[in-house]
Parts: sequence; structure tokens; C-alpha cells
Amino acid sequence: MKRLAELKQAGHKAFVAYIMAGDGGIEKLGEQIQYLQERGVTAIEVGIPFSDPVADGPTIEAAGNRALDKGITLEKVLDEMQRFDFEVKVPLVIMTYLNPVIRFGAERFTQEAKKAGASGVIIPDLPFEHRQLIEPFAKQQELVLIQLVTLTTIESRLEEILKQAEGFVYAVTVTGITGTRDDLAEEVGAFTRKVRELSPVPVYAGFGISKESHVNMLRDDVDGFIVGSAIVQAFHEDRIEDLEPLIDAVTIPHSV
Amino acid sequence: MTRVKICGLMEEQHVKAASQADAIGFVFAPSKRRVSVERAQELSRLANNDMQRIGVFVNASYEEIDEAVKTVPLTMVQLHGDEPDELIRRIDVPVIQAFSIRSPDDVEKLNNSIADYILVDAPGTDYRGGSGHVFDWSLLENVNLDHSRLILAGGLNKDNVQAAISQTTPFMVDVSSGVETAGRKDEVKIQQFILQAKGDSMERTQEKTIDPVGFFGRYGGQFVPETLMKAVKELEAAYEDAKNDDEFQKEYHHYLKEYVGREQPLTFAARMTEAWGGPKIYLKREDLNHTGAHKVNNAIGQALLAQRMGKRKIVAETGAGQHGVATATICALFDLDCVVFMGEEDIKRQQLNVFRMKLLGARVESVTKGSGTLKDAVNEALRYWVTNVEDTHYLIGSALGPHPFPTMVRDFQSVIGKETKRQILEKEGRLPDAIVACVGGGSNAIGMFHPFVEDASVRLIGAEAAGAGVDTDRHAATLTKGSEGVLHGAMMKILQDDAGQVQEAHSISAGLDYPGIGPEHAHLADNGRVTYEAITDDEALASVIEMSRLEGIIPALETAHAIAEAKKQAQSMTADEVLVICVSGRGDKDMATYAEKLEGLS
Repeated sequence: MKRLAELKQAGHKAFVAYIMAGDGGIEKLGEQIQYLQERGVTAIEVGIPFSDPVADGPTIEAAGNRALDKGITLEKVLDEMQRFDFEVKVPLVIMTYLNPVIRFGAERFTQEAKKAGASGVIIPDLPFEHRQLIEPFAKQQELVLIQLVTLTTIESRLEEILKQAEGFVYAVTVTGITGTRDDLAEEVGAFTRKVRELSPVPVYAGFGISKESHVNMLRDDVDGFIVGSAIVQAFHEDRIEDLEPLIDAVTIPHSV
Repeated sequence: MTRVKICGLMEEQHVKAASQADAIGFVFAPSKRRVSVERAQELSRLANNDMQRIGVFVNASYEEIDEAVKTVPLTMVQLHGDEPDELIRRIDVPVIQAFSIRSPDDVEKLNNSIADYILVDAPGTDYRGGSGHVFDWSLLENVNLDHSRLILAGGLNKDNVQAAISQTTPFMVDVSSGVETAGRKDEVKIQQFILQAKGDSMERTQEKTIDPVGFFGRYGGQFVPETLMKAVKELEAAYEDAKNDDEFQKEYHHYLKEYVGREQPLTFAARMTEAWGGPKIYLKREDLNHTGAHKVNNAIGQALLAQRMGKRKIVAETGAGQHGVATATICALFDLDCVVFMGEEDIKRQQLNVFRMKLLGARVESVTKGSGTLKDAVNEALRYWVTNVEDTHYLIGSALGPHPFPTMVRDFQSVIGKETKRQILEKEGRLPDAIVACVGGGSNAIGMFHPFVEDASVRLIGAEAAGAGVDTDRHAATLTKGSEGVLHGAMMKILQDDAGQVQEAHSISAGLDYPGIGPEHAHLADNGRVTYEAITDDEALASVIEMSRLEGIIPALETAHAIAEAKKQAQSMTADEVLVICVSGRGDKDMATYAEKLEGLS
């Protein structure tokens, strides 16, 4: 995670890829991570499928359902990650809804996630107010609990959340669920600028990022981009190379 | 959780009042609470099977003790005299040895006891066996003592038992004079003591781990995506404000009276009473509300609140369609935009309600994901809300979801219990002995139960859906089979697999077909204040026929679960007792199901 701060200092933009673990079979997980790190992504979010993913749009929900149909569980993903026989060169962040963690046991989850090589955890239905359920255990394992901020986060909370942010801040750029969109709202730039001013750690824009036009629009106001649905769908349809221009658009330094 | 023993019982009603305790004690030694072995045997029959029955002796012979153990029968023996170790060894059941604590030296002696448990008490006065005085609990701190065999007694009452438990963390607390009024046991005090000892101990543990706002014990909270936090916090503040605003309350009650048609009668069911041969049966008639069920009580309250917050768009989920219809109705009345998410499966089962909603001007969105039932409808409604949160209020229909919804829905539905309480006091001059209501998410039940929760003499029973049977994989018996988990914004009890994936529920009744139960119910189940029983599809159907023919009231399928459970409860009740059933809704919406399932009905 330190690497993310260094990247920011060097003036480079980060590209964080989200994948749904076990979509296409658990054996795909290692392949996808290897592919993405070779392609130069900065970090990878490993999504855990959940039966009721209320923050997700149809693409990620469908990917989750495919993974669930293959019997993928949090435990299986963490086991698989512990068995990787290749060098993981980028930070891995586990993204899961809260219930599988509660069921698995918060402390055990952080221990196993650490063993699995994870650097951080994102739990979209664990708001800042309830972070005590997980954070103490995450700290013990030196895992960062990534916080989300959104267009609707009120000022006072935003400051409070950013004050304690670690790793990176996930700035949700749409008022809605995950998924690709044509356009982002005008006010997003102002929002991410504000977040970036207040945040001690890099700020990455996520939800709805799927096109170079989105990247161009926000390039100067964020430290990186998180791309989920577009990558998940491309892997599913076996055309991940289509995403290479988007990855390059973010990661290859731009002359201003 | 610390166990509770109610000691020195002599009368039937006190044994019953102690039904949520873990142990009851009979005193066989000289005492004003002394009972004979035969009397203890009679009283013991009234207690639950899993209740520990403890006999209290002072320097009795082995033969006396053994006779009582075999006759009552006792499951434990408690010794307050100078009984030798040989005697303790001979006793077949676990033994509790009592000690008076005056000084640190007395604490030292505790570890020498060979008994299974050690009971610590303040020094006695007239008789051996406890004085009802508190001793210095701090003597038990920081000493080498196995607290898993510690039973704390001496001067405990509902007001100090929490402190006692947190200071001494005993295996069990033992109370006698602390639950008495004028030297006689008091049912209300017994139940209050149990609630304090059990319920609040969980809340204390909870406070250490989570911010307690919006929690019922360990359940509740606001587990929603960040985008919704603003709306949830705004709602919390707006509701708090409205709740204390007389004008808002006046407006709400105005619509309940003039539009819904409240108050609803508490009907004496003479023929059901006669047919079941037990207690007097009363029916709380939520079926008579405009739109045909209790759901409208809450829909009006929340729609008024939404307008107060400046929101004129409403999204709702519905299972059986009753909440959807209530919401669509109120949106028509107040000219609000209304979209209702409903599972595809439920749309098939509840066609009449779908048409009603459309007629009322609502947009009904079919949800094809998952099992196409209530859970999936809530998911979609939440997604819709996340996307349209700035101008839309999510009008949740059950006592579920992130805080403040469970509290707010309960408050709006509490009109059911408040009216019932007033009415039964008018009719019978006393509170009922038992109240039964059906539970899916739990809104009619919590509305009915809430005003009675502090009335310890009133047994509260929730009837959940056992579907094809709780031992099959087709049921919705969340409290019987579920476990702690987070779904739809709250920590509650849910049906889930080992990996934490939420399972699909099944019930013939669309309104109970939900794999979770609201946080307050989960808490009331844990602390034992409400008991929850599961009723199968077949049992519910049989009750539909029975009630229709005995009382001329065709109940909703959801309500039929409460009726079936009430019939079971009535079997062990007597003619001088009173049982109230919450008739949450009428059966019109279920006619297609009834016609199909009860084909050939003669």
C-alpha cells in the first residue's frame, strides 16, 4: 500500500482493477491476477460473491451469481490465494459484503486474508460508524480498511472519514450502484477535488468508470481509477484485451 | 449469558412467571418459603422440561435429600449447612454448596469446595440460607476463583442485577426476596428480574463492540452502502423530530381514524373459545383496516414523514402485496409518485393486489432475480433508493432495514398493541395471559407486542412460517433455524449457509416468505421475552378453514399462522385465562391460493 503513495508522489495515476473471484471457476483467479499485473495495473480488488449485493449493478451481480453457482465462498477464495505459485507484484484488496465476513469470523477473516497476501479490505455495507466490527482485527494484521466516500457523504462525515483514511480512498463517482455508464455527472470533478484536498492518502474514483472519456474528465482531480464492471464483463466474454487501451490511458504518463 | 434462578417458589403462578428463567428453587429447610416434597413435585410439573429444578437443604440427611431428588424430581441440590464432603459425593445430581461471604478469608475457602457449583451469599439472619442482603461483590474480584462455577445470591433485585453480573461474571444469579412484594413472590418482579439479568447483559456486551445507536441488544445498526448514509441519517433526525411533534402525531392519528377506520375492535371469539376448550379468545381486528391489513398504519406514518422531509417520491417493496397496496393507496391519497418492487413469484401468487396497486396509480416492478420473492424485492428497492436517494423515500413495510426503520415501523404499528391493551382492560379488567401474532419481518407482531413487553405476566408468542417443515429446506423459520447475520441494512437473524450466503425462504404465505427477522424480534428471542414457534403451510391452511367457519372471518394466510399457534397455546391454558390473537389481515388476497389448495372443500 505504501507503493500507492509513492506512485502519487511520482505524479502517476493508478489503475485499480476489480475482478469477481471465481467467475469462470476458481482456477481463473490466479490467471486473471497474473494477466492484470503483467498489463501494468496498480492494484487489484478481489471481489467475493454474495447472494444479496445491494451496492452492485447487474454486471457484477451476474458475475457473483455465476461464481456462487460454482460454489465459490470467501474461504475458497482465501485458500486459493494462499496457494498461488506465482509472485504477486501488486497490492491485493479483498472486496466483500459484510455478512460472509461475520459468518467466517472477523478475526479469522483478517488472519486468513493476511496469509493470502492481501493488503487491504473493502466492505461496501460497513459504514464508518460500524468499522469497529472489523478495524481492530484488520489493524492487528496490518490490513487497511479502505473507506468509501460518495457524492452524498455530508461534509462533517467526509472530514471525519478522510481524517482516518488509510491505503487509498474510494470516491464513488455516481449516486447509484456499480455498472458502466455513458456519462458522469458534472459535479463529480468538484467532489473528487474536495476529497483529494482533505485526504491524506491517494483518492481513486470508482463506480461507473468504463471509458477513456471518464478518465479524461477526472484525470486532474483524482489519483487513480477503479474499474469493475467493464473488466468483469470483458473477462467473462474472454475479450480482456479490449480493456488495454483504458488501462494504458490511465497508467501511461500524460504530457500536459 | 448468565443463567437465572428464581428461588423459594411456593405458588403455581410464580412458577409460570419464572418460565424464562433457567432454574427454579424449592426450599425444604425451615424457612417461611418452605415447601413439602409433594408440593414441590406439583409445582415442578408446571415448569418447562429444560428448567433446572433445585432443592435447597440445610443439614438434611442423605435419605431426605435422595427422596426429594427422586420424587420431585430435582436436577440439582443446593446445600446451606455444614454438610460433609462424603454427603456431597453421594448425591447423584450436581451439587451447589453455599457460602456466606464476609471477608477475603471467606472467598479463599470457596476453592476448597468439592461441589460442582459454589453459591455465594451475604451472611444469614434468622435462618440459614441467605438474608436478602448484598455483600461486597468486589471481594470476588482479582481473586483466584473459577467464575464458571459461581452462583451469586444475596440481595439481588432488578435494579442491581446488571451491576452484579458485570462485576462478578457468575455462572448464575439467584434471587428470592428481590422478586417479592410483602413477603410473597410477585410475577411482575420475577419477569422484570429475568429481563434485566438476561436482556441487558447482552446490551452491555454490545456497547463494548459497536456504537449502540439504533441497536436492540446486538441487533440493528445501519449497514448500508455509503451513498445511503446521508438519507438514513436524515431520516433518523427527521423521525426523532416528528415523533416529538404533537402536530405530526395529531395528523397521523387523524388519518388513522378518518381514513383507516380505527380504532379496530377487539372481538370476543365465542365459538373459537368454545371449540378450543381453553382460554377466552379475543381477536384484534387489523383485517378491518382500509386496504385489509395492518400495513396501512405504517404507510400513513411514513408517507407523512416523507412529505415533512420534502420527498414526494416513494419506493417500496412488497411480499404479499399488502404493504404495496397500502403504500399505493396512501400515495394516491397524498398525490405522491409510487414505485413498488415485487418478486415475480409473488406477483403470480397475489395477482389481485398487483391489480389494486396499478389501479391506484403505482408502478409495479417485477423482480425476477433470486427466488423472485420478498428478499429480492427488498434488494431491488434498495438499489433503486441508492440511485434516487436525493428525492425518494424508501417506505419499508416491515420492522426491518437500517435504523431508524425498525424503531419507526414499530412505533407506527404500536397502535395495535396500545388499542388492544386499553380494550382488554375494559372488557376483562386485566391484561391477557398470552398474545399470539405472526412474524415474517415482524411488523404486526412488534406493533402488538411492544406495548406489552414490560408487562411480564403477558406471554408473547410469535408464529413464524415453517413452510413444508423446519427440517426441510423449504421454510422461513428464521428464529427456529436462523443465525446472526447482516442483511438489508441490519444485523438480525437470517437463514444462511455456512459461507454466509443468504438462503431462500419458503412459505405458502407471501408475506412471511422472508429469510430474516427484524432486529428487535431477534433481540426479544435471545432474551427470552418473546417465544417464537413455527407453523407449517398445512397447519396454516387448516386454520384458515377453522376460523372462517367458526367466526365468519376469513384470515390472510399470514394471520392463519398466528391462529394455528394460538390453538396450540390454548391446549395448555385454562378457562379463566385470556388469549389474544392479532388478526393482521383478511384473506381476500389469498382466495386464488385457497381455491387451489383447498380444492374439494366441502
